[in-house]
Amino acid sequence: MDDMLKVENLSIAFRTDEGLIAPVQGVSFSVQKGKTLGLVGESGSGKSISTKALMRLLPGTAILGEDTKMTYRAKNGEIIDIEKLAPNSRKTRHLRGGEIGMIFQEPMASFSPVYTVGNQMMEAIRLHRDMNKKEAREFAIEMLDKVGISNPAQRIDQYAHEMSGGMRQRAMIALTLSAGPQLLIADEPTTALDVTIQAQVLELMSDLQRDLGMGMIFITHDLGVIAQIADEVAVMYLGTIVERGPTRDIIRDPKHPYTQGLLEAIPKLDSLTHRLSPVPGDIPSPHARPTGCPFHTRCTRKIEGVCDVKAPTEVDLGEGHAVACFLHADEGRHVA
Amino acid sequence: MLRFTLERLVGMVVTMALVSVMVFLIMELPPGDYADRYAFRKYSGTGVNVTEADIQAIRVDLGLDKPLVFRYFDWIGGIVLHGDFGQAFAFETSVLKVIGDKIWLTLGILFSTLIVTYMVSIPIGIYAAVRRASVADYGLTVFSYLGLALPNFLLALILLYFANKWFGADIGGLFSADYKDAPWSFAKAWDLFKHLWLPAFVLAWSAVAYQLQTVRATMSDEINKLAVTAARARGVPETKLLIKYPARLAINPVVSTIGFDVNRIFSELPIVAVVLGLTELGELLLRAYLDLDMYVAGAILLLLTFMIVFMNFISDLLLAWLDPRIKLGASS
Amino acid sequence: MTSVVNDDLKNGSESELTEDQKRLLKYYSASQWTLIWWRFRRHRTAMIAASLLIVMALFGIFAEFVAPYGPTSRNTKYLDGAPQIPQFCDQNGCSMRPFIHGVSTKRDPVTLRAISVPDTNKRVYIEMCLEGEKTELLGFIPIKTHLFGLQDPKAKLHIWGTDDLGRDMFSRTIYATRTSLSIGVMGVFISFVLALIIGGTAGYFGGRTDMVIQRVTEVIRVVPIIPLYMGLAAAMPKEWSTTQIYFAMTLILGLFGWPTLARRIRSQLLSIRNEDYVVAARLAGAKPSRIIGQHMLPSFTSFIIVDLVISFPYMILSETALSFVGLGLRPPTVSWGVLLQQAQSIRVIEQTPWLFIPAVFVVVAVLAFTVIGDGLRDAADPYAEAK
Repeated sequence: MDDMLKVENLSIAFRTDEGLIAPVQGVSFSVQKGKTLGLVGESGSGKSISTKALMRLLPGTAILGEDTKMTYRAKNGEIIDIEKLAPNSRKTRHLRGGEIGMIFQEPMASFSPVYTVGNQMMEAIRLHRDMNKKEAREFAIEMLDKVGISNPAQRIDQYAHEMSGGMRQRAMIALTLSAGPQLLIADEPTTALDVTIQAQVLELMSDLQRDLGMGMIFITHDLGVIAQIADEVAVMYLGTIVERGPTRDIIRDPKHPYTQGLLEAIPKLDSLTHRLSPVPGDIPSPHARPTGCPFHTRCTRKIEGVCDVKAPTEVDLGEGHAVACFLHADEGRHVA
Repeated sequence: MLRFTLERLVGMVVTMALVSVMVFLIMELPPGDYADRYAFRKYSGTGVNVTEADIQAIRVDLGLDKPLVFRYFDWIGGIVLHGDFGQAFAFETSVLKVIGDKIWLTLGILFSTLIVTYMVSIPIGIYAAVRRASVADYGLTVFSYLGLALPNFLLALILLYFANKWFGADIGGLFSADYKDAPWSFAKAWDLFKHLWLPAFVLAWSAVAYQLQTVRATMSDEINKLAVTAARARGVPETKLLIKYPARLAINPVVSTIGFDVNRIFSELPIVAVVLGLTELGELLLRAYLDLDMYVAGAILLLLTFMIVFMNFISDLLLAWLDPRIKLGASS
Repeated sequence: MTSVVNDDLKNGSESELTEDQKRLLKYYSASQWTLIWWRFRRHRTAMIAASLLIVMALFGIFAEFVAPYGPTSRNTKYLDGAPQIPQFCDQNGCSMRPFIHGVSTKRDPVTLRAISVPDTNKRVYIEMCLEGEKTELLGFIPIKTHLFGLQDPKAKLHIWGTDDLGRDMFSRTIYATRTSLSIGVMGVFISFVLALIIGGTAGYFGGRTDMVIQRVTEVIRVVPIIPLYMGLAAAMPKEWSTTQIYFAMTLILGLFGWPTLARRIRSQLLSIRNEDYVVAARLAGAKPSRIIGQHMLPSFTSFIIVDLVISFPYMILSETALSFVGLGLRPPTVSWGVLLQQAQSIRVIEQTPWLFIPAVFVVVAVLAFTVIGDGLRDAADPYAEAK
């Protein structure tokens, strides 16, 4: 396998005034060159925090689990153990931006309001590429052009608030890619956009990914978006991965009741008479984590005396499709 | 930007016009009029018998017999057209002469106070926000309470007392005895500079307490903004990151309140000046009030307010220059 | 959070509630003011500050009882006298009751001026609640009893020393506390009423009315406040009585203290002007004063109270500053500022540092108001997490 990033047993805890909380518990996944991994889950499922850990962007109150391993193969072939990097070392700074780039949900808030788009782009370019000011500016214009911003030579001197929402997110993509990452983490990049612009941005992202051969982690709560862009999907619930597999399998044949619930919550054009059925209940607070299977408090098919006692282990159903659920405990091979 | 500047300029003129009306009313407030006080001061104890007719003559002579509105326009007209602020009777000369170079001393005190205020509050406020719950952070909290509770003039007294006790030195005043009445020279300027730190420190006291809290609060807000995380995710080194992104925005509220700081400093100036023996406008204002020398008082109040309004204007311009979002709001 | 509690409550009738559920039930059914009080009570510094202020206020209100002597009573035998600290022991042994040493007058061998020296062989015992000078409590109830004093009616007790005229600093400071705090209260009250009217008008009507009021407010805010106060205070006629000056001072402080509060009221009113319940009241034909008072103000009363508490220090500091330079209250009225007027030079502070004691009162009062204001603000914040 051509894994550029391999995450094993990622656990994250935060020290708070009310004691330790553990929003991520034993998550493993990997990303291949040129492929997209979709991370799906409701807010609070730990998907954003997991990817922040990859860039060592967690605050000082966060603690990584002891057996957490995050291995990354850099552009020059060097293997980097991310969990061993010092938070603000030169190596970490190179990793951030230069190896792994990140785009966020709010393009407006991702830009500083007091610097032009060009200023921030040139800063990133000069940090990660050996260019002087003039070259960096030309390169920035080129990148803006590449993401489909018209009139890039003028746009570069604009502020984020002078652009439209879709254009801002394009500019953000240009900014992130201008540092030359080979892995892109996109944290709900289309959630804040209009649906039509959403499609354009998604298309742009997959085009760029293909052109640049980047790996991508795409975070969203929207399985509909995932179907368009991801090769593989991992569904997260309360800090664990409950189901994973090739996108097609997950969409067509979801095994975990949670995944099924998420899919039923998507409106479909061909069955307008059908009422949407949301996943019942709320995601529990990280302070009151249920025992046993984390999903049993909302599960319609929970097995009394089993699900609320013991946590299910992951079962491999073949072809990369795996699920952590007692309903499928006998259907395949147990992992680990 | 030009339009923005012009708008603010017009606003400044309107505010000053209204302020001048208010100042004039205050000048007119004390019982009796200028002629009464003039006659009393000039002739009392001299044995000259002043009749009501004499006072009336002075009144006509000075134009005080005209209605209030006319007197206002005489007064403001003199200031705007001829730079004539009227007569200071306690000194038997023009207000302008009395004020003289005190205006420069006042400006010197003002600017050294502002410099001390910002040099202390901006870096420490930023540091306390970055290092939450550190010694600097707790110290800041304690100090900001104290800065408000201990009035400047009491602080000045305490400082004078300890300076006297420990160093046996009188650190008050603006000049050493040798230079007090000497003409301006480089040595005198240096002497002034050596005396400025105390009033600057005393006057900066409460301004620092206030600004420290502002800077810390804004910085704490800004530091958690997505733009900062995004820049960090691009590999910007931490120190540069803090300065370029959150700190740059944390000084905006400071810049926008420069006018308030000047206001606060001038508000406290007369009383601190009395304690520290500073011979500048604040002290002169107080003396003028006590003597009911209202033309002097009015002129000073007008000048001080003008400086505040002007600094407000400067702060507006600075802010527009610092924060591109403001220009956009003004032009649309 | 609420849903959790409701579920809990549904599970049983009231009698079966656990302690925990009862606590929660009490919490969720408490009124806004009870909640604020509960949260404020947990703020320990603010509680200490509040107790301090209450003690100070009580001392001020019952100054005639607390102070052993009147504010202008003189003890010509003890001029510029040092504080007499009550003690239990001296070279002649210890006693169960606190005492001070008697004072005898000697002549300074050099200047031949009369000076007071403590007579260490003479003990005068201190007693609580004994009869002394006749005064009128609160100005109309004649009393003779004072909180404390000396057993020997001829001797006088000056725990905080005396000034150059032999007036007891403790008594004067207690009377000054009454003046300074009451001026603060009156000043805040006047500015509150003005702020309510001005801010209310601007915020309720908006538009051109608002614009004019905003302009005027800005003009008042831009003039440095103490010089402005000084100008008004300077205009008080010399022949006015102390009472007239006292009321004039509260008026002056109140007259220009409103802009900040008026701004707050205005912006709050503007923000809820078009809420449904306000529009409904307007359509029902209610008068503006009723809409503002009955429907709009209650939604942000807690903020107003916080602002009022926070504006106290400014009143107290302004009064102190003005009186300090002789432009505020005038002797024989005593206020903290008037008392501090005597301590204007280093020479005085060096020779008679106890004249500086009123400054401690100023600092403590201002600190207390600030801390209480902060505590109240936290407590009034509906988003503050409470358990």
